[in-house]
Amino acid sequence: MKKLISMLLALVLVLGCAAFAEAGEQADGKLTIWCWDKTFNIAAMEKAKEMYQADHPDVEIDIEEVLSEDIESRVIASNGDTSTLPDILLVQDHSIQKFVTNYPEVYHDITDEFDFSDFMPAKLGLSVVDGRNYGVPFDSGTVVAAWRTDYLEQAGYTVADLTDIDWDRFLEIGRDVKEKTGMPMLSGQAGAVDTVLIMLQSCGGSMFNEDGTANLAGNEKLKAVIDTYNTMVAEGIFIEVNSWDEYIGTLSNGSVVGTINGCWILSTIMSLADQAGKWDITNMPAMVGVDGATNYSNNGGSTWAVVNNKDIDLALDFLQMYRNVDFYDAILPATSAIATFTPAKDAPNYTAASDFFNGTPIFATIVEFGDSVPAEVTSPFYYDARGNVGTAVTNALNGGDLDSELQTAQDTTEFTMGF
Amino acid sequence: MSEGTFKKYGKRTLVYVFLILMSIISVFPLYWCFISSCNTTAEILGGKMLPGSHLIENLTNLFSQQDVLSAFKNSVINTVLVLVLSLAICSVAGYGFEIFHDKGKDIVMGIIMMSMMVPFVAILVPLFQMFTKMGFVNKYIGYILPSLSTPFLIMLFRNNARTFPKEVLEAARMDGLSEMGIFVRMFVPMMRPTFAAAATITFMNTWNAYLWPKVVLQTPASITMPMLVANLLSGYVVDYGVVMAGVTICTLPTVIVFFILQKSFTEAVAGAVK
Repeated sequence: MKKLISMLLALVLVLGCAAFAEAGEQADGKLTIWCWDKTFNIAAMEKAKEMYQADHPDVEIDIEEVLSEDIESRVIASNGDTSTLPDILLVQDHSIQKFVTNYPEVYHDITDEFDFSDFMPAKLGLSVVDGRNYGVPFDSGTVVAAWRTDYLEQAGYTVADLTDIDWDRFLEIGRDVKEKTGMPMLSGQAGAVDTVLIMLQSCGGSMFNEDGTANLAGNEKLKAVIDTYNTMVAEGIFIEVNSWDEYIGTLSNGSVVGTINGCWILSTIMSLADQAGKWDITNMPAMVGVDGATNYSNNGGSTWAVVNNKDIDLALDFLQMYRNVDFYDAILPATSAIATFTPAKDAPNYTAASDFFNGTPIFATIVEFGDSVPAEVTSPFYYDARGNVGTAVTNALNGGDLDSELQTAQDTTEFTMGF
Repeated sequence: MSEGTFKKYGKRTLVYVFLILMSIISVFPLYWCFISSCNTTAEILGGKMLPGSHLIENLTNLFSQQDVLSAFKNSVINTVLVLVLSLAICSVAGYGFEIFHDKGKDIVMGIIMMSMMVPFVAILVPLFQMFTKMGFVNKYIGYILPSLSTPFLIMLFRNNARTFPKEVLEAARMDGLSEMGIFVRMFVPMMRPTFAAAATITFMNTWNAYLWPKVVLQTPASITMPMLVANLLSGYVVDYGVVMAGVTICTLPTVIVFFILQKSFTEAVAGAVK
């Protein structure tokens, strides 16, 4: 028994000592970058590193995979102390306002240190806080309408019939296609309001006023958008599903005619090898009777932020790669990451025809679409307002009065904002 | 068959049907997890409920995309450290709280119990600040230290120490056994089911921990299995076959530990002392 006790105590001692050993070395004195998605952001950064190190062989660059939510948790836990943060980190476009506002000591103001000309204006505006710029734009979330040409043909339509149209015409086509094929045109996650906010931005609308206050109750553009959206859902032209996985399932199973979403959805569509050649893209429908309505919008994307750390100059010099057309051309085949740097649209890979999408040069087309996207007024409280609009849309779909639902959303958002 | 026998067997049949149904509902997520790791994304999203032939392909992709061995090793080291040290600390604390008498012990126990009501997220930022200053970030010590003494385990050991026969305690003292000797030679063997239950709970909590590790373990070399699985879900395109292969590898140790300790675990939960 004594032996057993001695062994147990020795084990505890050894393990206790091991507890003080390093679990991993924290990068120091080199460029450290945090981003997520091995096949997209990380792959793009690896290429940028390779191209940069060709000219700067002495610079050590460490790219670490960290989830978007984990980056946010670590910034919160740092409480403004940047010693545990990297030199560059990736931020979701609609999160950057909130984090720069709450942790201004973390994010470096790069307004006067980076050339922002030739980036898409709608994308650029998302990382501007109080007139100062805090991010180098990366991938585009320009909205595309992707359609199954074989399904449209069955109903007697082509993608040209869905190009440059408004939502009234879309509803007519949707009803006809549903009658002839039994298929809904679109699908989306219930309560997520991606489609509603895509439609809202397409006509220059926003959930916020220029002065930062919430703009939900009495927002005529938002009401018109929700009315159109709810009509589609009520008539079965748009089917709501319970989760993101189910939404992807509707595309992979071929149970919808198409989708309207940020261009990053094309990576998912292109992974469906059995559907090659059956898809094509065009622009989205425009709102009817609404000032500033266009056929273009944005959804998603991310931006590189420079942290107030020791290597700011080196980080900014490295991020010049994101003004390099050759870099965007090089990352396109492997990642499908579409540039928000507009000169990239003339690069060889961008102008090449895509066999998957009926021969359309999809990448150059998307960059062109991106130039026409109306700029959006955003806020640090974007995700709070978005959640409240989601509740309003769901309640209105279930028979609630839209005006009072939007008033509730306004009140809840203002409460969160501390008004 | 008499009416009484019919009633008896009818009732038993209903109970078995109900239990089988509940068992299926309980086991189904595990079954779905395992069979999905053998299928492609298209098959999973298509609702396929039978095993496929893509297990090797999914595992190959998983191991090529992520450093699974390193994450698994980190999870094992973190979990074993927390398991051994927390059982050693909390069992002594629980035993002490029950066996020794002091006016202030109930007040101290009350304070410990009250700390259970403070959510971990509330102390996350100050704890991280403190650990940063102490140089514990990215070290095993940083990960395990907040988990070593938990109010729940102290309470579990204290409650079960109440069933430790006082006659045994007094007899051992009369025979001249030291207090540490009583704990090690009398208490520990008799409380084996309690230790098994505490080990099972600690193993599951530590193995599946996510919030604290993702904040304090910041380098790729120090990530754990749950963090690795979360990384698989981060992209615009998610390979669900690979994700489920990762989930399966992450789940297996918990299942194995539970199967090994399930008998003792049940005894401890039921309050049995041999």
